[in-house]
Order: sequence, then structure tokens, then C-alpha cells
Amino acid sequence: MNQKINIKEIARKAYTSYHQDGILDISISSIILAFAIMMFTDMPWLGGISSVLAMSFYAGAKKTFTVPRIGYVKFPQQRVKRINIGLFVLGLLSFAVAMMAFVQTTGEGAPSWLMFLIENYMLTIGAIGTCLFLLAGYSFRTNRMYTYALLTAVLFVFGHFIYFPLQYYLTVLGITILAYGLAMLVRFIRKYPKATETADA
Amino acid sequence: MNPTKTNEDKEKAIQLIDKIIHEPARLIIVAHLFVVESADFLFLQRQTGLTWGNISSHVRKLEDAGYVSVEKEFVDKKPHTTLKLTDKGRAAFKEYRKSMKQVFEDLPE
Repeated sequence: MNQKINIKEIARKAYTSYHQDGILDISISSIILAFAIMMFTDMPWLGGISSVLAMSFYAGAKKTFTVPRIGYVKFPQQRVKRINIGLFVLGLLSFAVAMMAFVQTTGEGAPSWLMFLIENYMLTIGAIGTCLFLLAGYSFRTNRMYTYALLTAVLFVFGHFIYFPLQYYLTVLGITILAYGLAMLVRFIRKYPKATETADA
Repeated sequence: MNPTKTNEDKEKAIQLIDKIIHEPARLIIVAHLFVVESADFLFLQRQTGLTWGNISSHVRKLEDAGYVSVEKEFVDKKPHTTLKLTDKGRAAFKEYRKSMKQVFEDLPE
């Protein structure tokens, strides 16, 4: 054993290996695709339940694919705190913007900044999506989320200038992420076969 | 700086090195448990590359020293063993890192 003991590298490897299964990507893509299908078929309930279904899928898939292959690990609360802080900040920002829009709309009609956001909805949705992916990348320390953020930004800026209905852009984004997630899952399953030995036998 | 005193300090630092943690396989196990809250045998096996039997025997020694706590529970009606570095183990590892730094700090290039 001549490898150098680097605590930071060990921590990084332990964490990233747990998220190399593509399950997070598949879960995110299923939400995006659910919104696209919702817009294609005019079924608004689909958008509402997609997040719940995606979270259930994430928990179930981790239990089915990840834990039997790379084992169970609980990370320090610090990391969980980081994700919670990210979600809290995002929730707070969304609430503040929604409140501001509500107050200004009820008072003197729709304010100009809100009209700007609505008129340039492709850029607005693109910016929100990009921020969400940046937040996911920061929270989960997965670099590919930054790539998805870039892809979202490029796709929706493109969509702002070349008109296609929004659902087409969501479909392209969702399918790209889903394909990458599935490829990662296949690679993960091949790399880590299910363990046959057990310490409890 | 008095060289005799430095040598004495170095000898003292070497004597203070924890022999239980110093063994390479145990060192890598402790290092991995240090960065997580708890983990099971499979996770350690995947991360360290050590064999099941190897991990098992070293964990027993770490458990005897009070550095690692082993918790057995049932998950989906199957027995499951979780390993956790105790406060004593965490402190011992920190101390070990400090001692090793001290030993190597004054060595010439």
C-alpha cells in the first residue's frame, strides 16, 4: 500500500462515487419530461405529481441499484446542511419574487419588470433552470450539473431567438439528461456488480 | 535551535505514534471512516480495495481498541452491520496525523 493518504481526496471520492450512478440525472430528467408531456397533452396534474414521483424513484433506485453495489454510507450532517441551505435560499428567493409580483400586480396592474419576464419567457425559464442546475451542482458536488446548466442556458437563449414551442425545448433537454443518466447507470451496474459476500453471514 | 533537543522531540513524536492506526490497512480504514458519519463493510471494501476478510480482521482490532463501533441491525429482514468511528477513534486519528507531521516536518529533502 504505497498510496498517499489524502483526506480531502478520500472524502471527495467517497461522495462522488455515491452519485456516479446516474439516478439523480434520471430523476431530474423525469421532472423535465413530465412538464413537457404536461404541455403536449394539457394535463396539469402531471406537473404537480412529477416531483413526488421523481423523489420516490430516487429513494427507491438508490436502495435497489446503489446500496447493494457500493454499500451503505451516511455522510456528515454538514453536507446535508449545505443542500438544505441551498433549497432554503432558492425557496426564499422564489417566494420573494412571487410576493413582489403579487403585490405590484394587485396594486397598479402588472409591473413592467414582470411584463418583461413574461414577454421573454424563454430567457426567464432558461435563467431559472440554469440557476437550479448550478445549485444542484454546488449542493451535490457533481460537475456534470454545471454542464446541464450550460446546456439549459444555451438551449433557452437559442429558443428566445428561434421560435419553437417551449415543450420542444424541454423535451430536448429532458431526453439529453435522461440519456446521459441511463448511460451512467449502465456503466455503474457494469463497474460494480452486486456483492455476493456479506459480513453478516 | 539545539539539535539534541530536536532529536529528543522527534524520538518522542515517534514513540507517540499510535501503532494500532499506523498499520497501512487499518490506516486506510480509519481514514475512510473519518470522512463519513457511518458506513458498512461493502462501502469500505469498494473504497479501499481491501478484501472482506482483511477488513473484518482489522475492524475487530479497531473495535477492541475502542476506535470503531460496530452496530448490527436488520434492514428488510436481513442483518446489516454499520461501522462508525468513535470519538476516541476520531481523536486518535487526529493525534496520529499530528504526530506524523511532526516526525516528517524536520526531515531533510
